[in-house]
Amino acid sequence: MIYLDSAATTLQKPPAVARSAAWAVGHLATPGRGGHPPAANAAGLSFRCRELAARLFGVADPERVIFTFNATHALNIAIRSLVPPGGRVLLSGWEHNAVTRPLADLDVKVRMASGPLFRPETALAAFEASIEPGISAVICTHVSNVFGFILPLEGIAALCRRRGVPLIVDASQSAGCLPLDLDGLGASFIAMPGHKGLYGPQGTGLLLCGKDVETTPILCGGTGSASSLPHMPPFLPDRLEAGTHNMPGIAGLMAGLRFVQKTGISRILAHEQRLTRQAAMGLSRIPGVTVFAGPAQAGVLSFQVNGVDCETVADRLGKMGIAVRAGLHCAPLAHETAGTLQDGTVRASFSAFNTPAEGAQLVRCVARIASSR
Amino acid sequence: MVYYLILCRSLTYAQRTAAVLERAGITAHLLRSPKRVVGEGCGYSVKVSERNLAAALLALRRAGLSPKQVFLTAGDGSYREVHL
Repeated sequence: MIYLDSAATTLQKPPAVARSAAWAVGHLATPGRGGHPPAANAAGLSFRCRELAARLFGVADPERVIFTFNATHALNIAIRSLVPPGGRVLLSGWEHNAVTRPLADLDVKVRMASGPLFRPETALAAFEASIEPGISAVICTHVSNVFGFILPLEGIAALCRRRGVPLIVDASQSAGCLPLDLDGLGASFIAMPGHKGLYGPQGTGLLLCGKDVETTPILCGGTGSASSLPHMPPFLPDRLEAGTHNMPGIAGLMAGLRFVQKTGISRILAHEQRLTRQAAMGLSRIPGVTVFAGPAQAGVLSFQVNGVDCETVADRLGKMGIAVRAGLHCAPLAHETAGTLQDGTVRASFSAFNTPAEGAQLVRCVARIASSR
Repeated sequence: MVYYLILCRSLTYAQRTAAVLERAGITAHLLRSPKRVVGEGCGYSVKVSERNLAAALLALRRAGLSPKQVFLTAGDGSYREVHL
């Protein structure tokens, strides 16, 4: 099986990830829930994991690194912390349902800073024109999960700093392959999954909290600290980490973070972009195939085979041994912005473990599907 | 044996505290805070020897870390808060 669905979850992981997660079961208890060695070892590992994530993502204090179940969980905390019911926010036109659904649940008034695909300067101008006083937050994905479009995050963050508007970044597709510097950006929150570009197990995610940002827990319960208080403690990370930690997940995530650190974020990006360009070039030569590619693109590539339903294409690729994803990719807003809401797209997404030969095989298989229309 | 307990607001803060002290060459031992000194119930402390307290407080100040409270104990169950 050639796995090209890493934008959903990376399947091929460094071997240390599974080893660490398996070791944690039976060896690590829960941080903050006792002074005995299994609890102390869990506390030590979780602290090292926070420290490593803090170093990788520009967070001065490891206390501001929060373990979550996934990026969706992290985004929900960030949104509930900054956006009141009925508030107003400014979004990019490429957001995932993990952003738009929590906003809809809060009955938030949404304004969009939209622009064409792969035009970062136009995207920044749209934010500049749309940002207005009184909005609760700007929420922006770093990379579109459908098209791989890299948004101009540094420019958007600078704009937010100048206008005094809090910024929430969805780094679901960029964590592990693009540089992220929370304190440098001055963002209020950066949310990321552990199970995609950080190569951790499913059930892991991180929320990076800006300095002195007020936070609202969405889950309340035991923290192993300030136990006599009726409410959640006021300090991080405990305030946002109620209940028993996912120690096998955190142990695996730690191994994944080490892999990213050792391999190098820029090398991973260069590799994924090379595979994306190669596949885009090959697919664009096939008659009847529409490819969504451009210069500001990470390792995510959408395409359509004209006259063949995207789900049929994905199904046939699956039968040929290639795993891709089709449909709306939980991001109808992105498809609406790109004009693909009606038909959806087929998405191939790459990781550090894919090879040029796998990309070439994708192109050959799509050519067979297109020629048999 | 007389030693000091540096009470911290959270486990992670205590871990940061211990890491700063270890990096400064000061032996620091992380432990659950004794129940009788933790007003809010459940907390973590960093234990340092009597002779290292001044150096420890200096290292923590340089790192921007503030102890919640400091207690002196002789290991006999008695704790006396040290006002800094």
